[in-house]
Amino acid sequence: MEAILGNQVMFILFSAMIVMFSILTVTSRRILRAATFLLFVLLSTAGLYFMLNYQFLAAVQITLYAGGIVVLIIFSILLTSHIDHKFDRVPAQKLIMGVIAAGSGIALSLTTLLTYNFVPANQEPISVDMNTIGKSLLNYGDHGFVLPFEVISVLLLAAIVAAVVIAKRKKI
Amino acid sequence: MLFTGIPLEFFLVTSTLMFFIGIYGFITRENIITILMSIELILNSVNINFLAFNRYLYPGQLEGHFFSLFVIAVAAAEAAVAIAIIINIYRRFKSIEVDNVDEMKN
Amino acid sequence: MEFNIYDFTSFTKWIDESLNAAMSPFWVMITEMAIIGVAILAFYALVGLFLVYAERKVCAFMQNRVGPNRVGPFGIFQTIADLLKLLMKELVYIKNADKLLFNIAPFIVITASFLAIAAIPFARGLHAIDFNIGIFYVVAVSSLGVIGILLAGWSSNSKYSLIGAMRSGAQIVSYELSVGLSLITMVVLAGSMQLSTIVEAQANGWFIFTGHVPAVIAFVIFLIASTAETNRGPFDLAEAESELTAGFHTEYSGIRFAFFFLAEYMNMFIVASIAATVFWGGWMPFHVPGWEGFNTVMDYIPPFIWYIGKTAVIIFILMLFKWTFPRLRIDQLLTLEWKYLLPINLFNVVLMAFIVLMGWHW
Repeated sequence: MEAILGNQVMFILFSAMIVMFSILTVTSRRILRAATFLLFVLLSTAGLYFMLNYQFLAAVQITLYAGGIVVLIIFSILLTSHIDHKFDRVPAQKLIMGVIAAGSGIALSLTTLLTYNFVPANQEPISVDMNTIGKSLLNYGDHGFVLPFEVISVLLLAAIVAAVVIAKRKKI
Repeated sequence: MLFTGIPLEFFLVTSTLMFFIGIYGFITRENIITILMSIELILNSVNINFLAFNRYLYPGQLEGHFFSLFVIAVAAAEAAVAIAIIINIYRRFKSIEVDNVDEMKN
Repeated sequence: MEFNIYDFTSFTKWIDESLNAAMSPFWVMITEMAIIGVAILAFYALVGLFLVYAERKVCAFMQNRVGPNRVGPFGIFQTIADLLKLLMKELVYIKNADKLLFNIAPFIVITASFLAIAAIPFARGLHAIDFNIGIFYVVAVSSLGVIGILLAGWSSNSKYSLIGAMRSGAQIVSYELSVGLSLITMVVLAGSMQLSTIVEAQANGWFIFTGHVPAVIAFVIFLIASTAETNRGPFDLAEAESELTAGFHTEYSGIRFAFFFLAEYMNMFIVASIAATVFWGGWMPFHVPGWEGFNTVMDYIPPFIWYIGKTAVIIFILMLFKWTFPRLRIDQLLTLEWKYLLPINLFNVVLMAFIVLMGWHW
C-alpha cells in the first residue's frame, strides 16, 4: 500500500513537471529559456518511461532527445538569435484562436478518454531486456521488426545526405 | 512494479495535456525554432501514449515500444533536416520568423 | 551482521533489513534514497578535492616543480584552502545576462556527472543502481553535460564564452560518437550492457587481454575520445586560456565557477572508472587462468582497492596527456574525429563481431 503511495508521488511529480514546463516552453518569450524548459519536459518524460519499466527507451529518450535534438536546437539558437532578443507578445486574436483550439481539443479528447472503459490486461509482462529488443528488431517472423528497422536506416541515411546538402555553403 | 497504483488514465491525461499545449505553441509561435519545439512536444506526448497502452493493455508484446523507438528515430532525422533548413533560411533572409520568409526567390 | 570487505552484499542487505524492521516500506525507500544520496555526495566531494590536488602535483612533476607544499604535509590541504577561498568570493552578476539560465547552467553540468556516478560498480555489492542497460545509461546521462556548457556560454552575454561554448559543443557532440562506438565494441564482446555482468565476465581475464586487437584499439580510442569529451588537454580548446581567457566559464565566479571546475574533474573520474570497468575488469582482481596460487594471492586484495587503483592509473594517464601534448586547432580536432577515429571505430566493431562469432575470444 505504501509503495503505491510512493509510485503515485513520483508520477504526480513527473506529470506536473511535464505539464508545467510544456506550458513554459510554448509561452516563454526568450528563445533559449524555451529550449531549456523543453529539455526539462523531455527529461521528465524519460522519468515516466523509467516508471513504466521501459529502461532502454528511457535511455534512448535521454540520449537522442535531450542529448541530441535539444543540443541541435540550442546550437541553432546560438547561431541565429541574439541574447537581447525577446519575442513580441502574441497578438490577441492569435492567442484566443490558440486557446480555443487547444482547449476544445483537450475537452474533446479527455471526455472521450475518460468515458471509455480501458480494461488492463492480465497477461504476464515480458521482460524488456536488451536481448529481447535486439532479437525482435532483427526478426522477420511474427512480432519482428526487421522491415521498419531497415526503412529507418534508409531514412537516416537520406536525412544525413539532405542535411549536408542543405547546409552546405553554396559556391558563388 | 513501479507503475502499480497508477491507472492508465493518468498517463493519458498527461499526454493529452502535453499534446494540446504543443498544438497551442504551434499556432501561436512565429519563430521557426520554437515551432519545431512545439512539434517535439507533440511527438513526445504520442510516445507516452504508445508506451502506456503497450504496458497496460498488451504487456506481452512490444509493438508500442518499438513504435515509439521508430518515432524517436524519425524525430531525430526530422530535427537534423529542419535545423539545416533553418540555418539556410537564416543565411538568406537574416531572420527566422515565419512571416518574413515569404519570397520564393530572392 | 557481518562486515565483509570482499563482498558488500550482506552489508547492504543488513541495512535494508534493519530499516525494514524499523519503519514502513515508503519511509524505507525515502531513507535509502537519502543514505545513497549523502554517500555519493560525500564521495563526490572527496574525490573532487583529491583530484584537484593530484592534478597540481602531476603538473608540477611534469614541469619539474614541487607543486603545492605549504598547507599541511605535502600541501594536501591546499584544495581545501582553495575551496574556502572560492566559497568566500563574491558572486558577480553580469549586466544583460540571462540570470535564470546563468544560474541553472552549472547545476545541469554537475547533475549530469552526479547521475552518471550512480551506475558505477565500486565493489561487489557496492552499486547504487544496476540497470540492465548500465553502459548506455552512463553514456546517455553524461551527454547532458554539454547542454549546461552551451547554456553557460550563451547566457553570459560575452564573446569569449559564446565561442568557447560553440567549440565545446561541436567537440563533445562529435566525440560522443567515438566513446559510444568503442563501448559498443566491448558490449559486443561482453554480450551484455549490465555493468555487473560485464565485471563478472572478466573473472578469468580482463577484456583488454581476452579481446585481442579490437579491445586494445577500442581502449586507445576510448581514452582519446573521453579526453576530448571531458574537455581536457590536448583537446581543451573550449577553454583555451591563451585565446579565450577561460572559455564558457569566463564570467563565472565563486562557487558557481567551483561547480564547473568540480564537474570537470568528476567527469574525468567517471570516464576513468568506466574505462577501468569495461576494459580492465572494474573491481575484479587480476587473474591468470591456470595460476591458482597467484589468483588466490590476488583475491586477498579487496575489490575496492583494485577498483580505485585501476581508476587512479587511468586518471594519471589522462593527466599525463594534458601536460604532454600541445593543444589542437579546432579543424585538426574535427578531422581527427571524423576522418580517423570514426572509420577505425566502425571497422573495429565489425572486427570484434567477427571474432565473437568465430568464438576466438576467451
